[in-house]
Amino acid sequence: MDPDSLSKAFVEHYYTTFDSNRLNLMGLYQESSMLSFEGEKIQGAQNISNKLNSLPFQQCKHNISTVDCQPSGPAGGMLVFVSGNLQLPGEEHALKFSQMFHLIPTAQGSFYVFNDIFRLNYA
Amino acid sequence: MDPDSLSKAFVEHYYTQFDTNRIALVSLYDEASMLSFEGQQIQGAHNIAAKLNGLPFEQCKHIISTVDCQPSGPLGGMLVFVSGSLQLPGEEHSLKFSQMFHLLPTPQGSFYIFNDIFRLNYA
Repeated sequence: MDPDSLSKAFVEHYYTTFDSNRLNLMGLYQESSMLSFEGEKIQGAQNISNKLNSLPFQQCKHNISTVDCQPSGPAGGMLVFVSGNLQLPGEEHALKFSQMFHLIPTAQGSFYVFNDIFRLNYA
Repeated sequence: MDPDSLSKAFVEHYYTQFDTNRIALVSLYDEASMLSFEGQQIQGAHNIAAKLNGLPFEQCKHIISTVDCQPSGPLGGMLVFVSGSLQLPGEEHSLKFSQMFHLLPTPQGSFYIFNDIFRLNYA
């Protein structure tokens, strides 16, 4: 699959999992994975999963506006840069966000998230 | 220098150059460098410099709100994720943007930009 299709497929899978089955996100990270969430730094699949599963909302919907991707170097990694908005139930206005992922290939021919940086874009 | 200080120093240098001496940006990229600028993909220092110098404004000021960084893997690379606003002369409202850089070390102990992705954040 070409990089653009791969990154779009990853983005769709990631946010669908986040919005419908958040516990399953843990399988996309490994022990060495890093997340920066609004400036807070977290390392490791378990800690990252704890952070994402304890965010102060049960339900949410990510709407993706843009997806850009580039290969990150000779090791087959991919950088994916996303912008969109996050709808929370009961909130009139959606929150705008930007997020970047650095995906590294696994031995099984899939990808895992090595780097993840998330920021809300305030008005 | 620790990664956080390195990334802040890089960000300050990059945007100061952009705002005061845009032609000098060419030396921060090399032949393999990639830029995605509002979805347009450009490769190579020369083409990237041509794109940035060909943007439809003579003057601008970048104001940085957030800088996040993480190491990108075993090669000593650094991912830098920036959000801020771009002021153009004569425009009442500044444009919000997000940008990510993947910096790789040079033999001389400096860094160059291998990956660069820029997106405006529309309201």
